[in-house]
Amino acid sequence: MAPLTLAQALFMGLLQGASELFPVSSLGHAVIVPSLLHWSFKQSDPSFVPFLVLLHLGTATALLVLYRSEWVAIIRGFFTAAIRGQMKTDTERLAMLLLVGTIPAAVLGVFLESRIKSLFASPYVAAGFLVANGFLMLGFEILRRRAEGRATLASESRREQEAHFGSAEQISFLAAAIVGACQAFAFLPGISRSGVTIGGGLLAGLRHEEAARFSFLLATPVILGAGLVEMPGLFQGGVPVGEYLAAAVLAGIAAYASARFLLRYFRSGRLDPYGWYCITAGLASLALLHFSL
Amino acid sequence: MTRSSPLAVALGVLGVVFIVVAALYAVGALQIATSSATGPHYKHAILFAVLAVASFVGANFARPKTAT
Repeated sequence: MAPLTLAQALFMGLLQGASELFPVSSLGHAVIVPSLLHWSFKQSDPSFVPFLVLLHLGTATALLVLYRSEWVAIIRGFFTAAIRGQMKTDTERLAMLLLVGTIPAAVLGVFLESRIKSLFASPYVAAGFLVANGFLMLGFEILRRRAEGRATLASESRREQEAHFGSAEQISFLAAAIVGACQAFAFLPGISRSGVTIGGGLLAGLRHEEAARFSFLLATPVILGAGLVEMPGLFQGGVPVGEYLAAAVLAGIAAYASARFLLRYFRSGRLDPYGWYCITAGLASLALLHFSL
Repeated sequence: MTRSSPLAVALGVLGVVFIVVAALYAVGALQIATSSATGPHYKHAILFAVLAVASFVGANFARPKTAT
């Protein structure tokens, strides 16, 4: 028997796809929302992991479609630079930055992910970390405003302010490794992968839009790789592949739409609204869970 | 001999070590830091294969370049 009904699977697909790229923690929402809705499906069911795998593959596919031409150039640039032993173009540098940024996340993911997730997989803990994630987003923006203040950009429009900061290709290799390693914080339900990587990009001096672009490019191999290594679980008996595929398609569509929205939003927008959302949603969830409403 | 050669050699050796570790995880001969104590661990094997590729790329970057 499937742990989820079709309606629940589709809802979870929509929720995961929409919240994966927004800096609001998809894992946190996936832990909190079913508890608030009093859904009794078993996350320990053997077919639940393949469900999550398919949702992540849906999100990764959306990112690959969104950046399809850029990924072709990045992969070509990677092999060209790797064989030559030198980076001569911005794309070749970006390819190497993504490699350097992905390695710490992959190492920490393989060795720590399941241990951390099992330690903190409670809706109360997820709601608490969601509040922490909100303060983290606000903190990133406070530091960014200080940097803008030091550069005396206060009188300029948001677009003019943003123009003073760099593109993803200009980030240092050390900063790329640190931003990549920060993805490990997203193993804590409630802490957002895109939030910490966008925030890390801002601290490294990137424009908001470029920090989001670097975050999405960095997320693609991690999400795709994590999904692919769990693929064999999909072919076990009892997995309702049709229903789960429908949810994955919905997750992909939601992820594509949210990525397009965010890239447009971050041309002049900041992380603050997402920070306030996380604080409000986290506190409200804690109250609802505590009073069992 | 330029200064970057020892680094290139070290990264090359590291790459070979990572390949061996990847192979040991893939055949189930290595069980360090795994969730179960038996069987192959493909996730770990893939990770060390990627680390090996990164090491070889790093070695190629660190290798002395001849002037063209």
